Amino acid sequence: MSNRASSNATMPVPGAVSGEPILELRNVLKSFGETEIIRGVDLIVKRGQRHALIGPNGAGKSTLFNLISGHYLPSSGEILLNGESIAGSSPHAINRRGLSRSFQITNVFPRMSVAENLRISIMGRHGHRLTLFRPVRSLKAVNDEVDEFIDKLRLAKRRNDLAGDLAYSEQRILEMGMSLATGPAVLLLDEPTAGMSREETAYIVELIRQVTEGRTLLVVEHDMSVVFTLSDQVSVLVYGKIIASGEPAAVRADKIVQEAYLGVEVH
Amino acid sequence: MSQARDLALFVVGLAILAILPLFLSPNLMNAVIKMMIAALFALAFALAMGQAGMLSFGHAAYYGLGAFAALHLMRAVEMKLFFFPTPLVPIAGAAIGFMFGIVFGWLATQRTGVYFAMVTLALAELLFTLAPTWNSVFGGESGISTMRGASWGLSFGPDSHVYYLTLAWFVISTWCMWAFTKSPLGRLALALRDNEHRVRFLGFNTHVARTLIFAISCTFAGVAGALLAIANEATNYTIFSAQASANVVLQTFIGGAGTFFGPALGAATMTFFARVTSDLTRSWLLYQGLIFVLIMLFAPEGLGGIVSLHMRKLRAGSWRQLLLPYLLCLVVGLLLISGLVFVVESIHVVMTDAYFAKRVAANGAWVPYQFFGRTFEPLGLTTWAIPIMLLGVGSLLLPMARRVTATAWLLATQEQSPPSRDGQSPTGVRQEATA
Repeated sequence: MSNRASSNATMPVPGAVSGEPILELRNVLKSFGETEIIRGVDLIVKRGQRHALIGPNGAGKSTLFNLISGHYLPSSGEILLNGESIAGSSPHAINRRGLSRSFQITNVFPRMSVAENLRISIMGRHGHRLTLFRPVRSLKAVNDEVDEFIDKLRLAKRRNDLAGDLAYSEQRILEMGMSLATGPAVLLLDEPTAGMSREETAYIVELIRQVTEGRTLLVVEHDMSVVFTLSDQVSVLVYGKIIASGEPAAVRADKIVQEAYLGVEVH
Repeated sequence: MSQARDLALFVVGLAILAILPLFLSPNLMNAVIKMMIAALFALAFALAMGQAGMLSFGHAAYYGLGAFAALHLMRAVEMKLFFFPTPLVPIAGAAIGFMFGIVFGWLATQRTGVYFAMVTLALAELLFTLAPTWNSVFGGESGISTMRGASWGLSFGPDSHVYYLTLAWFVISTWCMWAFTKSPLGRLALALRDNEHRVRFLGFNTHVARTLIFAISCTFAGVAGALLAIANEATNYTIFSAQASANVVLQTFIGGAGTFFGPALGAATMTFFARVTSDLTRSWLLYQGLIFVLIMLFAPEGLGGIVSLHMRKLRAGSWRQLLLPYLLCLVVGLLLISGLVFVVESIHVVMTDAYFAKRVAANGAWVPYQFFGRTFEPLGLTTWAIPIMLLGVGSLLLPMARRVTATAWLLATQEQSPPSRDGQSPTGVRQEATA
């Protein structure tokens, strides 16, 4: 299970050593009442890695994301971000410590413009979370960065349109952009290409590669071609447990994985 | 351009309000004072409701606390315990509103939606039941009263002094709330309204943010309450009633919670409406309810929504095309309203005890009744022909009025550049083309 942290798509965040574990799950369990959904997950995501999490429906991928991002409290086990425990922290605290997530369902502010959606994320990072005595217009650094992000996400034409009026794929891009704009070291993407056409998928995968450069990525994805183009590390979650973890080619070749999950899709 | 227009509207509005007392009878001046207070209260409520999506059913609590705080302060001044200038008394209302907004808000904002509304309602009800028994603070059932003290060379005896004091606080508070919408926290309020769950994952402590926004709303509710206390020089526990809380909700929705000035418009209109109609008829609450239902059904964006729609969509000069259709609508509306009012008031008269006594005296005969200074026979054919004709003609003309208006609206709004989102008027671009 060797890890290759470098590829030409990844550049280490300045001041950080590439290859050290940035996100670590130790024997994480989560049960809802009698039902165990996550049954002891160990997972290490290294700095700069593009880590894909795959698995059949109902394996617990979304639950795992909800545990890492602070939406759920783990029943037991440890979750470490940069070596510090974040299990049980609130979502906003986890975000401020450098982990941000996107959602599987489109999760934007529909009655605000694209620029305003992004500005919420960016002004938060600039410390203007509860600022009252300054108009947002005067926050030059924030507004400049909003423009930068809009260009980066290629949404310039949609700048002043309401987020709720965007096409589905544009909303997904905006949603990811909002997560990214909070400046996380680790970004969790929950099925970024779900519900998209082949062209849209290719487009968004390329965009993700560009905009997340230098950041650590943990992606839940169903589309195997996306997994193999986007990631340099794959973990397979089946029935609440990680059954394999390694480089894409190695995981693809793994007999257990093929039986449990990939069998039909990979020959 | 839109900013210049907003500023112009603001200056004109302020100028009108400033010279208005010269033309008003004492009774009307008092009415305008109450309209400004109601408008301020509605704006404060809408700051939580319209901006941040927090539907509070207990805003009368902070309004009432502001009033009591102001009265206690004024009473202390009256008893010469210390001096405090009367024009600054609303600060006490603001302070108490903010404090209770933080404490009660901290509790209520643990929940969202219906549960939030229920907690705010319960907290207000708590005060409503507590106040009449807590004599020292709320003066029991009769409440407390005091006199406005003279300060800054003004006696604050005549209504005009109160008028300008209220106007000054109304303008300052409105400006503050307007500025709030432009601040980072004000923008965050919109995000919280749209999708609180998402905000949490962007690094914001939504509980703290919502508490703070709620408390700011309560601050200005407190100011409004204090202004009411100054104007009336008295208040009692009924200011905390659920009806008072419901009133501001109704007024805000009638005015339109989606626009900034809509709630003020709705509150001022409905306060005036209540003042006029409550003197004329006992059924005025029924009419108020009808207005609310009709607005919710046919113009859910409220009065403010209607105004802003016209400002956004109409091409310059095209209002002339709408003049006749709107006049037609007005006529149809008046026909239907008069028919309805006739029926309601007739029923009201013949159901009163006084009329019942007359019938008993006349051995059960349907004696004639007086109404609008005229006499009608309850079973007379001509009596009922009046509303039937009014309602009939009105109903017949209604579809036509709607059709004509819809066509005129289409004509008046077409050929425009696509509306821009930041509220800029789209009219400027095409002006030459239509001139």
